[in-house]
Amino acid sequence: MKFARLVVAVWLCGSMAGVTAQTEKPPTPAAAPGEAPAEAPAEVPAELPAGPPPEEQVPDADAIDEAAIDADIASQELSGDAKVRLDAARDAVVQIRGFFDTSESSAFHGSGFAVDDGRRIVTNYHVVAQAVLYPRQYRLEYLASDGRTGPLRVLAIDVRNDLAVVAADDLALPPLKLRSEIPAQGERAWSIGFPLNLGLTITEGVANGLVENSIEQRIHYTGAINGGMSGGPALDTRGRVYGVNVSVVTGRQLIGFVVPAKHIPALLARAKQPLDVSLSAQQLRQRVTAQVFAYEAEVLGAQPDTAATQSVRGYTLPTQISRHVECSTVDEPSPHVRVRVETVSCWIPARIRVQAGVSVAGLSMQHRILQSMGLHPQQFERQVNRLAAAPLRAGASAHVAPFACRDGLVSLDGFDARISTCVRQYRLFAGLYDFDVTVVGIDDAQQALVSRLALQGVGFESGKRTMERYLGALQWTP
Amino acid sequence: MLIEQTDPHGHRVLRQRFEGVGTECRVGRDLGCDIVVDDDHAASQHALLTLLEDGRVSVQDLGTRNGTRVDGDRVPADAGAVIEQGEIIVGRTRLRVRTRHTPIGPERVFRREFVRRHRTMLAAAGVSACIAYVGFLQWLDAPSSMLRSVITAVLVALGLIALWTGLWALATKLNHGSWHVRVHLTIASIGAAFCAWGYWVAGLLAYAAQWSGLVQVGVAVAGVVALLALYLHLREATHYGRRIALSLAGAATLVIGTVAWIISIGVDDGNVNRVDLGPDVRLGAGRVVPNRDIADYLAGVDKLQLAAGRERQKSLLNAPLADAGD
Repeated sequence: MKFARLVVAVWLCGSMAGVTAQTEKPPTPAAAPGEAPAEAPAEVPAELPAGPPPEEQVPDADAIDEAAIDADIASQELSGDAKVRLDAARDAVVQIRGFFDTSESSAFHGSGFAVDDGRRIVTNYHVVAQAVLYPRQYRLEYLASDGRTGPLRVLAIDVRNDLAVVAADDLALPPLKLRSEIPAQGERAWSIGFPLNLGLTITEGVANGLVENSIEQRIHYTGAINGGMSGGPALDTRGRVYGVNVSVVTGRQLIGFVVPAKHIPALLARAKQPLDVSLSAQQLRQRVTAQVFAYEAEVLGAQPDTAATQSVRGYTLPTQISRHVECSTVDEPSPHVRVRVETVSCWIPARIRVQAGVSVAGLSMQHRILQSMGLHPQQFERQVNRLAAAPLRAGASAHVAPFACRDGLVSLDGFDARISTCVRQYRLFAGLYDFDVTVVGIDDAQQALVSRLALQGVGFESGKRTMERYLGALQWTP
Repeated sequence: MLIEQTDPHGHRVLRQRFEGVGTECRVGRDLGCDIVVDDDHAASQHALLTLLEDGRVSVQDLGTRNGTRVDGDRVPADAGAVIEQGEIIVGRTRLRVRTRHTPIGPERVFRREFVRRHRTMLAAAGVSACIAYVGFLQWLDAPSSMLRSVITAVLVALGLIALWTGLWALATKLNHGSWHVRVHLTIASIGAAFCAWGYWVAGLLAYAAQWSGLVQVGVAVAGVVALLALYLHLREATHYGRRIALSLAGAATLVIGTVAWIISIGVDDGNVNRVDLGPDVRLGAGRVVPNRDIADYLAGVDKLQLAAGRERQKSLLNAPLADAGD
């Protein structure tokens, strides 16, 4: 729940000179502003004792001594440990850089580290995504700690867990050891990488266990992770890799996420049969699509234990059409003073990033029940039509094709409705579709249901199944 | 014989009648001439027109350098010409000559008599319909201050109609010398009212029949009304004949329609987030077509896969992927 609302994630793959920051809006606009003030002040004071206190803030001599000594002790202890970790891992970490065509300056960069026999390098899928999707246009290179550089090729990808295995023919580095169990909450942890192209950097923080209620596993790391550190190792107190740096929450304080290392062995096993270099770009994209399908079958298809619905003003509204759906009743501003709106909002955030700026396998549902408070039927009608046409759809013409639509008056369970279904295809991934279904109840001149189901980046069949389940669950009982 | 002098724009500036066999009419810049022309290209004694016994007119050039033309042909200096009717050009001045031989067409029926006779009533009705439509639109929105929003919208609508009417009236004044405000107001306001209400009714019908195409029909009807209004304005304000007025109005409608269409296509094409929900719903209202079964509807949704595929192909043709080789 918290995770889902907070997904304003920066994906750490640095682009050109900086960070690619993609901001995903929280699915419930009303919920986000309420959280911001509660969090920001809570985080800031917690960090203050750790660092040396600024001089001008200290008023009297006694306090100076105590605070300075405390800080001194604390910083010596921390920096000593971090130095040990960094020195032990330095040779195993490489910077992964992507180049456009024959260009000499990098288009994007991230981090990676050697595992297994030292010939395999683990990084994030999103670091190498451009090279996977446009193999003719982008090439990858590594930059090792001793200054060596050379070409890299991608052996295996795991889109769902945002992992990839790459290798270079001539490169053998001292490998890092993996730790498959999740660190306990509060365990000290470090992250290593190349933030913003500033050179090898280690940051210190605390592992906060697995993120609750999230579909794909992520470890919550309270520490600095910045663009360019993607794919770098996250180390525990013994120097073992417990995960891979993957993302942060922007606009908040030190909330980072790490992919658990337990997903790495399976990927390494797959890397034994490397992605054939002769595969066409289209086939590579199909591989990516197939992984999205597998994820989505699990997420959209996961039937809840009990078919959860919510009753509002005689309407039975589907809420948990999959076990992973989260819902909330939103207090939405009404479009008109004399129209009352009750909104039930449900969603599965789209968190599989197949390409920079393209997240797929998401679902969002808004049921709005509008009641006329003394409006003339024609005036009410206008409000209903406006609200039905209002939702803003996100999509860039670089990534998706235009919608194809179909509308009709249909008898649903207990009421008549106009259903408008719009479907569009992804330009790069022929198997992925966006669905946009708008249902408007048309029986009653004083009360109307305006419901919308939006699926983001799903297969056509699974999208249609989800849509059928959604339409089948809508019901009205007088 | 009847002689009418017209200026280069075709406007009549003089009309003179000559009677009696052998009557002569001298044309030139000299004040002693019967028809005095202020034309630098005419001689002081330029041409001589004589009414012959049989009612025809003989035209003689009085030895000028520029000559005299009858219906475009130069009159031989020595022989002269005899005509029943026609246009004589002296320098740059045009004289239209009519004799008793000139055939006279039957009485032309005054077709717009109804509009002319009831122009006050019709103009009032058209303006009222426009005001009613604008007010209705405001009422539909149920604004917090009905009076203020209705007054604002009505003033804007009236201002637009006044501007349009004023421009046509001005054109009429320049061409005919009188304003004809009420006739133009009738054409403008009734045309606008037809367009607005017609479009609204088209929306209603589109919902009742569940066919979005009817909205396009509404747009087409509005286009025809606009064409008709333009034609009537042109006929009223200019000297153009039916054919020219109609083709001018048609061309204007076509140009405006095409520009609007291109703009809408340009906006639609680039917008991957535009969805078409179908005609606006009417809550609890009657419909012509029965509801579909959910299974029927879902079978239709299957076809969307193909349609979406076509949209993707189109989009890939317009803007190929970065490595289009694959």
